[in-house]
Amino acid sequence: MFEEKPLNGETPENDDVGHQEDRRFFLKQSIALAGLTFVPGGFLQAGEQDEVPVGNAEKVKLTLTINGAKRRLTIDPRVTLLDLLREKSGLTGTKKGCDFGQCGACTVHVDGQRVLSCLTFAVMQHGRKVITIEGLASNEQLHPMQEAFIKHDGFQCGYCTPGQIMSAVSCIREGRANSETEIQEYMSGNLCRCGAYPNIVNAIMEVKTNGQKV
Amino acid sequence: MKPFQYFRPTKLKEAVDAVASYPNARFIAGGTNLIDLMKRGIAAPEKLVDINHLPLKKIEKREGMLRIGALALNSDVAQHKLVLEKHPLLAQALNAGASGQLRNMATVGGNILQQTRCTYFYDTALPCNKRKPESGCSALGGINRNHAIFGIGEKIDHKSCIAVHPSDMCVALLALDATVLVMGPAGERRIHFADFHRLPGDRPDLNANLESNELILAVEIPDSPFTKHIHYLKVRDRASYAFALVSVAVALEIDQNRIKTARLVMGGVAHKPWRMHDAEKVLLGQTVSENLFRQAAEAGMIGAVASEHNAYKLKLAPNAMVEALKIAAQIS
Amino acid sequence: MMTKPFPDKLETDVSLDRVDGRSKVTGAATYSAEYQFENLAHAVLVTSTIARGEILDMDIRQAEAAPGVLAVISHLNSPGIPGYAPAKKPAERVPVGTSFRVFYDELIYFDGQPVAMVVAGSFEQARYAASLIQIKYESETHQTDFNANLAKAMVPLNVQKNKNSPFQDYNRGDAEAIKIAEVKIEATYTIPTQHHQPLEPHAIIAVWEAVDKLTIYDKNQGVKSAQGNLAQAFKLPRENVKVISKFIGGAFGSGIRVWPHTTAAVLAAKIVNRPVKLVLGRELMFTSVGYRPYTVQKVSVGAGKDGLLKAIVHDGTGQTSAYEEHLERTILASRAMYACPNVATRYRLLSLDVNTPTWMRGPGDATGMFALESALDEMAFALNVDPLVFRIRNHADSDPEQNLEWSEKSLKECYQLGAEKFGWNKRQLQPRSIQSNGMLVGYGMASSLYGFHRHPSVAKAVMLANGSVIVQSATMDIGPGTGTAMTQIASKILGISPKKVRFDLGDSSLPDAPGQNGSSTIPSVGSAVHVACESLKKKLAELAAAMPDSGSGVSYADILKFHKLPQVEVMEESKSGPERDQYSMYSFGCHFVEVHVSPVTGEVRVKRVVTCADVGKIINYKTARSQSIGGVVGGIGMALMEESVMDHRYGRYVTSDFASYHIPVHADIPQIEVHYIDKPDVYVNPIGSKGLGEIAIVGVAAAVANAVFHATGKRIRELPITPDKLV
Repeated sequence: MFEEKPLNGETPENDDVGHQEDRRFFLKQSIALAGLTFVPGGFLQAGEQDEVPVGNAEKVKLTLTINGAKRRLTIDPRVTLLDLLREKSGLTGTKKGCDFGQCGACTVHVDGQRVLSCLTFAVMQHGRKVITIEGLASNEQLHPMQEAFIKHDGFQCGYCTPGQIMSAVSCIREGRANSETEIQEYMSGNLCRCGAYPNIVNAIMEVKTNGQKV
Repeated sequence: MKPFQYFRPTKLKEAVDAVASYPNARFIAGGTNLIDLMKRGIAAPEKLVDINHLPLKKIEKREGMLRIGALALNSDVAQHKLVLEKHPLLAQALNAGASGQLRNMATVGGNILQQTRCTYFYDTALPCNKRKPESGCSALGGINRNHAIFGIGEKIDHKSCIAVHPSDMCVALLALDATVLVMGPAGERRIHFADFHRLPGDRPDLNANLESNELILAVEIPDSPFTKHIHYLKVRDRASYAFALVSVAVALEIDQNRIKTARLVMGGVAHKPWRMHDAEKVLLGQTVSENLFRQAAEAGMIGAVASEHNAYKLKLAPNAMVEALKIAAQIS
Repeated sequence: MMTKPFPDKLETDVSLDRVDGRSKVTGAATYSAEYQFENLAHAVLVTSTIARGEILDMDIRQAEAAPGVLAVISHLNSPGIPGYAPAKKPAERVPVGTSFRVFYDELIYFDGQPVAMVVAGSFEQARYAASLIQIKYESETHQTDFNANLAKAMVPLNVQKNKNSPFQDYNRGDAEAIKIAEVKIEATYTIPTQHHQPLEPHAIIAVWEAVDKLTIYDKNQGVKSAQGNLAQAFKLPRENVKVISKFIGGAFGSGIRVWPHTTAAVLAAKIVNRPVKLVLGRELMFTSVGYRPYTVQKVSVGAGKDGLLKAIVHDGTGQTSAYEEHLERTILASRAMYACPNVATRYRLLSLDVNTPTWMRGPGDATGMFALESALDEMAFALNVDPLVFRIRNHADSDPEQNLEWSEKSLKECYQLGAEKFGWNKRQLQPRSIQSNGMLVGYGMASSLYGFHRHPSVAKAVMLANGSVIVQSATMDIGPGTGTAMTQIASKILGISPKKVRFDLGDSSLPDAPGQNGSSTIPSVGSAVHVACESLKKKLAELAAAMPDSGSGVSYADILKFHKLPQVEVMEESKSGPERDQYSMYSFGCHFVEVHVSPVTGEVRVKRVVTCADVGKIINYKTARSQSIGGVVGGIGMALMEESVMDHRYGRYVTSDFASYHIPVHADIPQIEVHYIDKPDVYVNPIGSKGLGEIAIVGVAAAVANAVFHATGKRIRELPITPDKLV
């Protein structure tokens, strides 16, 4: 018999990991507020417990708004924003291609700007708003750039695609999509080994030319 | 990556004190180079002082100069009205570097302090005098296609280093005669851009004449006539998103076809942005022509020394200078 | 008989959007490292920093004591892989032909060899602990420099043992003919080591479901071969190993074999008794998953002043490891490509202290055709003949190697179509004849060929009660759009909307299919899907025949409903018939390239490409076009920038990331025009389709190099063509 249910181990719909992190955070925070200063002195700014990430070498806590949802997390400060998304938030749409800022697969928007999530520690993004590929579409309606990528076949294997799309949206927002040459230059931080470049450029050109809101 | 403490100050003094008071503390701004180095085990700070919340982002006009805060992002600087108007050479150089995403993260201060891209520096399994003084330079006698042809020094020995400074922005800043404003535990000081970066000498591990507890506050660029006859030319192995094989920043003041002032700086040829004083001298007071530019470029190349794989730079560098001068002077 | 029409109208016939497009653009597609498990442990590999020698001592105390560490595994404590022969004491170097055995003994065969693995609760913990391991080596003199060791190249042992090997020295006609040819050129061409570097690094999650039951989520190009390999390595019944590889972020050949890191991760999961994830760092992608081997080729071409080829002598030597032989088709194209009476080829291998190379897109032929098609261009220039005219004049109307008719060949039509679309007739013979905005402009072209590959494949097709269909085969999609093409084949045969078809792949429990390599997927699996759907249709038609004729047609759902069947399924195998031996089967094509070269800096920019392929029937124009474009982009990378550089003093790559190993970026790639002849080859298989993946790249590097010659008058015979070679 054929069953359409997901395979064992596939990503569940809800994000259990994040929820667990939330609960642990609240526990620790209530201890801290009760006056048990387990955090080394000097790292806490008076009255800013809620705003400033604090912590020792093992754990820091931070608040991030990811795709519109506020998340409070306690993490190892060595965790990059990319690894926080992929390993601790169940948001694997953002890809790890090189982990050295040389491929663009990890591109996300932070406070509206495209950045490489592999080259920033998550803790440094405390208080900011992060949008990933999962947060680009509103509900079931794909973002125009996503539609255009499908229409123009702007990918093959799909691995660089989320980064290309996030970058493509920024490229238009930054006003750098006025010609094919300009798009090529301002998209050059996103590598594609399958070689979908011309199709990607065509997708961006179409979204730009149609004047769709991005 | 070694575990580290994280500290996010909001006041300049807090930041400087935090680094000064902790043995292995580092400032972190954009992180685009430092995090890379930390992942590879090349930098291993035990405390990171996140300076991104210090008030150092402003780009503003001051008396006789443009002042750019150390935390101004490369992308913001490259498209800032005042920069485009007064120092378009800087905008050109910035846009020639990295990628859209990286320019959105990298700061002016971080760009100035970025490490070389010598591949041996990044490979902790191999000797490198810059990473580990007196361990030897693997590029000497190794793969040195991307390495320096200037400023290597008279004698090549176990302390040498032939790495190049990778920045595009710094090449333009040197051409524009900028000054770096820094703050340390003892207060503020100004360093002329020409004196900021070092030649390797006996201490190739030091890139700049800056103490580790000093924080760059801003870059100051004096007002200049270099708004029209400027060009930044970058030669690379692919069309974009690659470090320069060589690059040239040209800034000329031309009056009735005669060169009144000339600045010519090269990137990708030395341990620091390399000002071509001798070439500038040839240009001064002369009438623009391709022939003149060729003479200047040849004068600039005096003293260049190639290694096994980078002899092509001896030809590419002068060619690039001539081309950049022609574009800047608008002759074809 | 069943009455028509079918209820569904075909929405799109030849350019269906990718069936997995939505999941790829929304980030929902799950790649190997992205499956979520509770209790997941993270592994990091430690690799050797010498190229040959042995490990004297490994101090793991600090690593073991580091926070979160679950295990540090090396040859010192490995319980051993059950399928390996027992390790000898003292350790002995393995004979040639032995796959690398991970954590086996203290011997080092290449720089970057996995020597230890740290498993910890988090990636950060594992990476830090890995940095704390101290290893002392005793180095032996290593040999990694191809050119310095070229004299040691030899006839591969594989070939020595096998008289029928296609890599035996080959002589057709008169070996002396080259000496008396009126016009003769001879040149040596070099391809540096190049790496696949798919954007997704190789990754695996290994899960032991029970003590004798293993599931892996792995990046590879063949779930069935990975299953068999791991079953053997861990001495498990084949059915106890499950390999899931639903989405693969590019591979280009790097995933054809099961590499040591996969085995290591499975071993680690066994040891820590938790699911273990291992993702190779980009630097490890240079030493862990093969590469296109460094190859030096000498080609001599003799021709008459009439422009007819008289003789071709093609010698090729490729690099391999000290423990395995990797052979490639390098010299084979020269036997079949042109009508040339006298052809000699020789193939040699050079063993070095490096890891084993592997197949990379257009394996052998991309390398060999760079040499042959450059040499043809050199000869055309020597003869003062247009390079395209020269090729047409020497067109092989039948296979000169096998003395067989081609099953189908429309190369002349490709030449004509490509030349016309490109505007080849505007080209002048002399180099440096065109300039534009201070740039030297050059036109170049090259031919392409790739042998036809088809392997036995099985597909299952199931009609469900609601009239929708599930088709299954254990094939793969590393990017070309396998599921989309198969959906289209099924939808067309069954006459239902593609939306009613689901195609399952990338799971070893599905029916047998070959791995995705050698451009064989559409020819092999496409045929199986075709046959299975035909068979399903026939079965349904028989069922329909038993129904009373309503006069108004009957839907599939009606048939199942009438017979009270929950589903109707068929399973069919498809494989080559006797035609395989009666005809010579190849794909053909050609590429036309315009480059602009700066006379000042030596920078080369490709401005225009027209590529034309004769690959039989095109199943899906949209995805086929993307695949052709991708091949051209790969060829541009090969021609202009890709080079893995090793420092032979250490036997270690100095290119270890995307900043030092350049692949093309957006700004390097112009619009690329793609054309197909789209004529079914009736002898290859029931769908008339040949493969496209390889032929898309074969010849591109030569077309670029030929264009550079036309622009500059400089012939660059050593790839890549970087500015330093032209300035």
